[in-house]
Amino acid sequence: MASLSEEVLLVVKRVRQRKQDGTLYLMAERIAWGPEGKDRFTVSHLYADIRCQKISPDGKAKIQLQLILHTGESTTFHFSNGSTALKDRDATKELLQQLLPKFKKKANKELEEKNRMLQEDPVLFQLYKDLVVSQVISAEEFWANRLSLNTVEHSLSNNSKQEVGISAAFLADIRPQTDGCNGLRYNLTSDIIESIFRTYPTVKQKYAENVPHNLTEKEFWTRFFQSHYFHRDRISTGQQDIFSECAKQDEKGLKSMVTQGVKNPMVDLLLLEDKTLDEGYGTATVPTTSNSSNKSLRENSNSAIIKRFNHHSAMVLAAGLRKADAPSDQASETSSTDGNSRDSDFFQLPLKKVKLQESIEYDDLQGDSGRKTIALNLKKSDRYSHGPIPLQSQHYTTSQDIINSISIIQHEMRNYKPRLTQVMSSNAASSAITALSPGGLLMQGGGQQTINQLVPTDVQIELKHLYTAAGELLRHFWSCFPVNTPFLEDKVVKMKSNLERFQVTKLRPFQEKIQRQYLSMTLMGHLEEMLQAAYSKFQVWQTRRMMRKT
Amino acid sequence: MKLNIEGLLVYFPYDYIYPEQYSYMLELKRTLDAKGHGVLEMPSGTGKTISLLSLIVAYQKAYPLEVTKLVYCSRTVPEIEKVVEELRKLMDYYAKQTGVKNDFLALALSSRKNLCIHPEVSSLRFGKEVDGKCHSLTASYIRAQHHSNPSQPVCQFFEEFDAVGRQVPIPPGIYNLDDLKDFGRRKGWCPYFLARYAILHANIVVYSYHYLLDPKIADLVSKELAKKSVVVFDEAHNIDNVCIDSMSVNITRRTLDRCQTNVETLQNTISRIKETDAAKLREEYRRLVEGLKEANVARETDIYLSNPVLPDEILQEAVPGSIRTAEHFVGFIKRFLEYLKARLRIHHVVQESAPQFLKDIYEKVCIDRKPLRFCAERLRSLLRTLEIADIADFSAITLISHFATLVSTYSKGFTIIIEPFEDRTPTIANPVLHFSCMDPSIAIKPVFGRFQSVIITSGTLSPLDIYPRILDFRPVTMASFTMTLARTCLCPLIVGRGNDQVAMTSKFETREDFAVIRNYGNLLLEMSAIVPDGIVAFFTSYIYMENIVASWYEQGILENIQRNKLIFIETQDAAETSMALEKYQEACENGRGAILLSVARGKVSEGIDFVHHFGRAVIMFGVPYVYTQSRILKARLEYLRDQFQIRENDFLTFDAMRHAAQCVGRAIRGKTDYGLMIFADKRYARADKRGKLPRWIQEHLTDGSLNLTIDETVQLSKHFLRQMAQPFRRVTTRTFLSLFNDLNQA
Repeated sequence: MASLSEEVLLVVKRVRQRKQDGTLYLMAERIAWGPEGKDRFTVSHLYADIRCQKISPDGKAKIQLQLILHTGESTTFHFSNGSTALKDRDATKELLQQLLPKFKKKANKELEEKNRMLQEDPVLFQLYKDLVVSQVISAEEFWANRLSLNTVEHSLSNNSKQEVGISAAFLADIRPQTDGCNGLRYNLTSDIIESIFRTYPTVKQKYAENVPHNLTEKEFWTRFFQSHYFHRDRISTGQQDIFSECAKQDEKGLKSMVTQGVKNPMVDLLLLEDKTLDEGYGTATVPTTSNSSNKSLRENSNSAIIKRFNHHSAMVLAAGLRKADAPSDQASETSSTDGNSRDSDFFQLPLKKVKLQESIEYDDLQGDSGRKTIALNLKKSDRYSHGPIPLQSQHYTTSQDIINSISIIQHEMRNYKPRLTQVMSSNAASSAITALSPGGLLMQGGGQQTINQLVPTDVQIELKHLYTAAGELLRHFWSCFPVNTPFLEDKVVKMKSNLERFQVTKLRPFQEKIQRQYLSMTLMGHLEEMLQAAYSKFQVWQTRRMMRKT
Repeated sequence: MKLNIEGLLVYFPYDYIYPEQYSYMLELKRTLDAKGHGVLEMPSGTGKTISLLSLIVAYQKAYPLEVTKLVYCSRTVPEIEKVVEELRKLMDYYAKQTGVKNDFLALALSSRKNLCIHPEVSSLRFGKEVDGKCHSLTASYIRAQHHSNPSQPVCQFFEEFDAVGRQVPIPPGIYNLDDLKDFGRRKGWCPYFLARYAILHANIVVYSYHYLLDPKIADLVSKELAKKSVVVFDEAHNIDNVCIDSMSVNITRRTLDRCQTNVETLQNTISRIKETDAAKLREEYRRLVEGLKEANVARETDIYLSNPVLPDEILQEAVPGSIRTAEHFVGFIKRFLEYLKARLRIHHVVQESAPQFLKDIYEKVCIDRKPLRFCAERLRSLLRTLEIADIADFSAITLISHFATLVSTYSKGFTIIIEPFEDRTPTIANPVLHFSCMDPSIAIKPVFGRFQSVIITSGTLSPLDIYPRILDFRPVTMASFTMTLARTCLCPLIVGRGNDQVAMTSKFETREDFAVIRNYGNLLLEMSAIVPDGIVAFFTSYIYMENIVASWYEQGILENIQRNKLIFIETQDAAETSMALEKYQEACENGRGAILLSVARGKVSEGIDFVHHFGRAVIMFGVPYVYTQSRILKARLEYLRDQFQIRENDFLTFDAMRHAAQCVGRAIRGKTDYGLMIFADKRYARADKRGKLPRWIQEHLTDGSLNLTIDETVQLSKHFLRQMAQPFRRVTTRTFLSLFNDLNQA
């Protein structure tokens, strides 16, 4: 038996299921139950299939545990081992509680995905209702080629798991507590240490250098918290401090960041001013010779705090981005390597252009044409432009006629000059427009009434649904051709029957309905035609197959 | 779309138009028709620039003889480039609609730093270095030397341009700074000189204020612009300060020391030349006798030395005899220098007017007013004659000569203040002579006088009537347009109290108060928890911000804020701030959210936009009054009171409120944008402050939001943000079109 090789995590004897005594096994991937004295399991559920477990309330005489599956079925186990029944049940419950979430994720992901798709796409949902709920095709069939589309991109996004960022306030979280005897206690967790290392690589380096040969871990952190590096507002006292080097390196890093300049020219304050006033002009009292000598100690520490915050925020930001950034941001790399030299103009140009364009857009003034469309990707454009040509005899104007008339109109448009001082008053203009619109004074006679004026909306909606459903089925059907594998043969037969079923269960009632409402039957014409086309194709295929067989 | 603006066909490159844009164009057209000046206020983000450009271009096309040129002045380089891009969009639209190829020439002009393509020169980082280096390669005598001595390096781009660039006009089109550089590279011409030459015949010129307002530059760059030009000052809310800055001079002891060495160099050079080439000096003398109207062959390249005063008055006269020879002039400068040195050796503050100064200098060292007036021009001539190669070093003596000319030219509108030390450090002697301009109309007067229409426009010009007064001109139109909003996308709130009912204010007496600082901190903390993405907070001054940040740090408020958002802080170093800004945007971009602490009147508050998620809330901590104890300011206030009858308090409030409006306006850059504007000072609720905010902010300031506590603010903000986070449907814009039709009826 296959289950023998499985690891059994828990065995509970004397568990009744359907009034039969038996033993419950909890294994690594499934839960199983076998009746007393028999060598096989009559009940076996993968954890992944289980939606949840329920237990009977404590006061109840029967001590039970119910498993509810995703399919909606449920299995109930009755623990009947007298005194230890409650304990047994709780042990099982505990273990299941631990196990289920692990599997839940895996199972639910697909389900969630399906659910999400249905929720996001009302058309798909309607389709699902029409086809699956009314049991025209099965759920698996329905999803078969839908999910495959998504799994590709989905797996892509799944693989690159998002890195967890760093809280900006991680240093604040290590609030020191007085321990009562003239000391401070800092609470460090591994998360905080991780954050410190990621934000301040120099500290990590120091740690690697000194722990454990020079200092114990505890000593290291004690020194860290004592150092002026941690309390940046304290001015360095020049003691033997292993972190003074860190501070220097940070300073250097900050400097290099500053000299590297910024990539976005719109925020570069150095480039903002076109022409600065020469030295000596202007009223603004420039902080003359801002030596640190005439600055007070306090001012110095204040600006150190400000610097520290800028640096800290930048480091936190960088730590969060470091990994995600590496592959994607090539453009920025090129521009950052050569810093702010003028040669980088070539790299800067596109970015600058883009930023400029962005800043002058008024998207709410733009017409609707600005809406994003999906580009049509044609492999053979000539086939698209010619398309299937209907072989109906119709009166066509020759292309020469069309060209001529267009050129005449163009000519007239070109010579059109609005006489702005003598324009029609807008009252007159708007009355003319109403007269010329459908239903207006001049437009009453002719004009075909369109479907949306003829047919009540509920019928329209139903028709739309039928169209999408039929389209979906037909898509399945046509996708089977050319039929070259036995699987496809099966499928095409099934699809045909699906179509027929659809026609019987859905189209017929609708047809009757519109007949009852005395609406024109032409509404259905096109749907029928599409189905007929599919049937005849199927007929052709079947006779050909018969011929080949005989 | 095409618009009919009182009979003028205007092409507008969008399918819809905001009603205020339409009214803006209407007012603008009336101004142009009347050939007068205008003051127009319209909130940022309502497409001011494109309305301006559309109308003026249409006007130019319709009446090419009435308006020959549009001179568009903006403030910063990115803004200049934005304008040109909008213009490009408009011109593309014209070309598409009419099918006629664009025959307009429009270009941006900027300093050498932004336009140079010489590989060596352009690699320099600071504008001044680039200018100096450029000059050492292109000055007329350098090029003359190159003729005789080919090893003397010159700039091949300039040579190429000089040889052929002037004959072949630059083809019509829209040239942004980068386009000019590209064009220059292709042709091998210097883009900077090309642009400077091309603005003379361009239809549209876009450049910065300084080219028109700073007489030192305007004289050379913009002197020959046609009278029938329309001049637009965009973002003009600070124009008075630009004017004043360009006319004011500060002299420190260091300046004088450097000037001293300059004088010595001059003296040595003169004596050397005298031995070798005395004819040259004689030639100069002859030229000076004839007057300064010399053929200015070399003038174009020698711009750094032009006269700070408006030249026409002087150029007619000849240089007075006493400073005509080189030695006499150097001696004259020396005397002047000694006098200034003596004046700086003082122990108390001295304030005097220009005539007093002139009287004193005449009594002490017998320097007359007339030769002083010619100082700048005379020095210019001398430096050119002496062919001093490394000219950048002579900035000190140039400054002194400018001061001499200015002080002797203007008897009114200026004041001289000599301070022996800085107020904050009375023990350290650091004497400074401020020669400060108090009347912005002096610098801008020639602009109003010369051009037929000058439009002053900005998002924040309230109260409108003060600008004509301080700039001394008579506008034909003054209008303030409000923003029509499909949804109330801005939410100004005035927070006056903390939850403990302690008044919140940056008033001088209470600004160090612990409770106030803590309440400010709590406000920021609470907001950081509820506002998504970016918050920008402005303080009234840098020192104030430093202090508050330090005490917030001590109280642990900053740490709590960090739990919600990253913190970035503006520093006094521009490069560092740029980096902080970029990181701030990055943090907003990736969803972490950030807070930027910044300073009103700082570079960030003036030049950086915080669109959409970069600024969902702006908090203005306190009222950004200017530092009132400064003597220069006091003198200016006095002058304003005496000359223009503007009360001191009115002006101070006006100044503070325009900066506050600028700060909070940074966050709303369009109608699809939204943001909170939090004024955290109870003084904002007073009518005199509130009334000076731009109309488009005032409108949304309800009585219920005037004196809120922090808790109330949080509640209101939550409500606002939740409302704004709903998807913005475009249906509402549709109504604009029909509204426009209604407008057209009138």
